[in-house]
Amino acid sequence: MRLGMVIDLDRCIGCRSCAVACKSHNAQPPGTWWNRVFTPGASFHQAAVGKDGALQMEYLPVSCQMCDNPACQKVCPSGATYTDERGVVLIDYERCIGCRYCIAACPYGVRQYNWEDPKKAKARAGYEKGYEYGYPADFRDKDGRLVYTPNRPVGVVEKCTFCVQYTSGGEQPACVKGCPGKVRIFGDLDDPSSEVSKLVRKRQTVRLKEELGTSPKVFYLAATKLIR
Amino acid sequence: MKKSNILLGLAGSLILISLVAWGYQIYNGLIVTNMRNSFSWGLYIATFAFFVGVAAGGLIVSSTVYLFNIEKLKPFTRIASLSAFASILGAGAMILPDMGRVDRIWNIFVYPNFRSPLVWDVMVISAYLLITFLSVYVQILPDRKKEGSRFLNGWTKAHSQEEVEAFSKKWSKRIALVGLPVAILIHTVTALIFATQASRGWWNTAVLPPDFVSVAVASGTALVLVISLLAVGKEQFDQHKGAFQIMALIVAGSLVVHFFFVSVDLIIHGWWGSREAEEILSLIFGHYGYLYATELLLPAFTMVLFFTEKGKRSYRALMIGSVLLFIGVFAHRLMLMFPAFNAIPLSLSIPGAGIESWAYPVALGQLQEGMPVFVSSWAYMPTLVEYGVTLLPFGLVLFVVTAALKMYNFLPQKPFM
Repeated sequence: MRLGMVIDLDRCIGCRSCAVACKSHNAQPPGTWWNRVFTPGASFHQAAVGKDGALQMEYLPVSCQMCDNPACQKVCPSGATYTDERGVVLIDYERCIGCRYCIAACPYGVRQYNWEDPKKAKARAGYEKGYEYGYPADFRDKDGRLVYTPNRPVGVVEKCTFCVQYTSGGEQPACVKGCPGKVRIFGDLDDPSSEVSKLVRKRQTVRLKEELGTSPKVFYLAATKLIR
Repeated sequence: MKKSNILLGLAGSLILISLVAWGYQIYNGLIVTNMRNSFSWGLYIATFAFFVGVAAGGLIVSSTVYLFNIEKLKPFTRIASLSAFASILGAGAMILPDMGRVDRIWNIFVYPNFRSPLVWDVMVISAYLLITFLSVYVQILPDRKKEGSRFLNGWTKAHSQEEVEAFSKKWSKRIALVGLPVAILIHTVTALIFATQASRGWWNTAVLPPDFVSVAVASGTALVLVISLLAVGKEQFDQHKGAFQIMALIVAGSLVVHFFFVSVDLIIHGWWGSREAEEILSLIFGHYGYLYATELLLPAFTMVLFFTEKGKRSYRALMIGSVLLFIGVFAHRLMLMFPAFNAIPLSLSIPGAGIESWAYPVALGQLQEGMPVFVSSWAYMPTLVEYGVTLLPFGLVLFVVTAALKMYNFLPQKPFM
């Protein structure tokens, strides 16, 4: 099994629902975002870019690209970052020593560090005391490695897990469910009959920074209908 | 005697300040530094790389003695080994506060990932620490037997002074020869931590490891030079002039090699004219121009100075040149970080809008009033806490060198070989 995602840029309306669903389901502390949506070329989101009066506005959601050749995993000195049997790149929050080599290595800027205790960060940001959000329980992989916990330990790196707490039970990731435009399609790239496989086979796909040889398992269907 | 007590007190207070700062950082998290997600390594890693660099000197100087039979340098092999041991100890100590979870550091040894250049570095630096320690140990062995010191020395009881001296001589040479490739390796592997990362254009070049070696030979030898100058003092300067000239020549010669590598690197970065390279060049010559000028001009001045007759014959010139070189090399280590982290790897071109390079914003990892969460560059400046923590290796090196010079005979006036 090789889990992957196809993102159809023709359908994306830049609403950032995926980022919000991701953030709240995965209990990301203030200032931490596993999933971002921006308007390429613009200095702020939802602003048109262009020249000679011809404006355009595209959106590009970016989260962990789930590389088949993940630089982050190769640099990790303690094996905290690993690829599970479903092809998902995960971080063991109990193994990570916080050296941040993976953050330097990742070309996509998706890795996020817990610069302080998430509980302190929430209090500092003014969140109501006792307010907790996100999937409430710890999640461990079949080997007992802690790959999700609502309040991450201080000093460890975190990032998108393809919602391991949901997808390991056969459910869809939060960003896929939360998308109003059905932009994101999630499935097994090894299964030729899956929708992701069909799309990758039949449509023209783009992968980010492909020239670096990271072999991402997130594929983008390029926008064909320009919003002008 | 009094001077060394003042130095020991100074070293002790540096260590104390750094430990307090580190404790504060452990309590609050690395939020007390100015590093953030988009700029995830800063002063600590730069300082670490600096100390790895100056650790080269010891075994370079001692092995020069044995490989090229340069007798003049022989009186300084003890000081050289000592400076190497102290520096690599400082480098190793500097890496610890950069770990967000230093309490789990054992995970590197229990679950090592042998594909990680960081694991290679842990191995070669540990090896170097051991080798330089042994190098110091065997060289001061005969003296310690003479004065009847027993700590780690018990086994020499059964042997005569002559036997111990022969042992010391034989093993000093062996360790120096084994140590040389390890000395080269610590720079190569430390450089590989950076050079292997294709995501960072500024690092991703095969010239980085050899350049690290050349800078290390220069700055490491300069450290031996400075400690030796301080140890023999102005009075005995003339007596050892020959040795200092050779060291100055090693410094200047390796700086020539360094500048050759720098030029080749800049040409390779600039010639093709890709957007990524242009961004890096505009960062190093524009935004970080002053720091880059420091990195280039100070060592260039030292290089020229150490080639001139006057420069390599004067106590003051050798001292000033070495200190300027240290500042330049420190700027060099800082410049590893600034251009690398402020060129966001995920940059896109939007041809339809006439945009060749647009950096995809990165979340900082902190929400603060009046500050954006998503940035495409980060004006990293170390915080007071970072400066405090960074005193650790400086304190350790000062402490180890001063204490050793005080306790044992490292000075060249009584040559033992």
